[in-house]
Amino acid sequence: MKVRVDPQLCQGHTLCAMNAPDLFALRDEDGHAYALGEDVPADLEPQAKEAARSCPEQAVVLF
Amino acid sequence: MSTEQAPTADAERKKHVISLDRHSPRYRLEFAELATEFHAKCPVAWNDTHGGYWFASGNNELFDIARRADVLSNDNDVDGVRNGYVGISIPPASASAGGKRQRGGFLEMDPPDQRYYRQALNPYLSPAAVARWKPVIEEITRACLDEVIESGRIDFVDDLANIVPAVFTLAMLGLPLKDWTVYCEPTHAAVYTPPGTPEYDRMRELQMVMGQHLMRNMLAVRADPRPGLINELLNVEIDGRRPDEMEVFGVVMLLIGGGFDTTTALTAHSLEWLSENPAERERLSRERDTLLDSATEEFLRFFTPAVGDGRTVSQDCVINGTEFKEGDRLWLSWAMANRDAKVFADPHHVQLDRKGNRHASFGLGIHRCIGSNVARSVFKTMVTAVMDRLPDYVCAPGGAVHYDTTGVINGMKHLPATFTPGRRLGPGLAETIERMQRVCDEQRLAEPITVRATTARL
Repeated sequence: MKVRVDPQLCQGHTLCAMNAPDLFALRDEDGHAYALGEDVPADLEPQAKEAARSCPEQAVVLF
Repeated sequence: MSTEQAPTADAERKKHVISLDRHSPRYRLEFAELATEFHAKCPVAWNDTHGGYWFASGNNELFDIARRADVLSNDNDVDGVRNGYVGISIPPASASAGGKRQRGGFLEMDPPDQRYYRQALNPYLSPAAVARWKPVIEEITRACLDEVIESGRIDFVDDLANIVPAVFTLAMLGLPLKDWTVYCEPTHAAVYTPPGTPEYDRMRELQMVMGQHLMRNMLAVRADPRPGLINELLNVEIDGRRPDEMEVFGVVMLLIGGGFDTTTALTAHSLEWLSENPAERERLSRERDTLLDSATEEFLRFFTPAVGDGRTVSQDCVINGTEFKEGDRLWLSWAMANRDAKVFADPHHVQLDRKGNRHASFGLGIHRCIGSNVARSVFKTMVTAVMDRLPDYVCAPGGAVHYDTTGVINGMKHLPATFTPGRRLGPGLAETIERMQRVCDEQRLAEPITVRATTARL
């Protein structure tokens, strides 16, 4: 599983980093999210799915 | 198009008609039933009250509409120099004493101006920026509770949830902390006081005093710069221009309005619910390391402090089969979308560990609440402190005073409670505010994260 945050859709709700702190970080200057890496370790796949499900803007892309 | 066809076409376009006065008690008292009915029958309806406007309550429908900034406008064209749009309130906000509507800062602007403002202010309000203030927020909260801890009685609104957001908002703005009372009452009262009452006249007087205080202090910041949101706004360039003082004033009033009543409303409702559900309160306190985040999001979903926002359709378009015309007004009901069973299982119940909670309480799209990180941080600090220091509090039966109507904010005026008295931990509020002022000044806490990265030291 791979993950990324669509920067055109992300509005800085911060829920991905709240639900999956090992996969996402928030930029200091505006709180918008980015994935720490593209590859999701197998044990973090549930976290990645929860981050995608709970994003209000549906900006977390799993592929 | 012939004139004979137009009414029929319009009737077809607005085939799902509702009559819901959002500013009536019915909207508050029958909220869950109305939401369920609309979701089943008409997730996008034409509401024939207040001049007629679209009412989007379905979660999926609202998701598709709210993010279409290309066809929606927030503009409040108070000078009548653009399209004459009237901003985000339905019905439109009434004119002030000068006979002119006041623009609600960048929430009543469209890009690119709106984007310039947000880029300028985000470094003061991002999660990293807010985290620097944690010790200050905790200390103000501690002092509020110390004021009442020996008495065994508290009004959670008056003694806590009104104070912490107000003092902290002034700190971020760069205003004198001790003057929080000048801003507190008129800001809350403006939301719940109906026009044509003696209370309304008093509120307008307090608003005048607040406005004068703010203008005086803005000029003082200009003359003798001190860090904070006001200083940023006085120096910011918006698409190559420097906003005048009235425009800055409108932005500051937006930040105050957004920063005060919403967090108060969320905190009061959550504390009332935790009083009514003591087992859940104990669980939240015990499992706070894993549960406080999801509980906070669930309270946000369930109580949705800012219940919705208005828009004006800026060009003819069709979204999910609904035909919108340029100039149509539209209400985005964040509160009802948050209760849609298609997205939230058992939507009318609070589940502190709810998963997939993609609530819309901070709005959706480019106007996402810029203070959302402040709200979360202040809320969590207050609720945690109450669980620690007033673990057995009980809200007085029948004592809670909810707003009569919740057309703008789902708020509360009073929430009295009793608890087993405890010991003070430090100085009272006035002395603490004085000390926090010194800390703010000496450490320049209100600088943006791009200038100052370290956490406050008390």
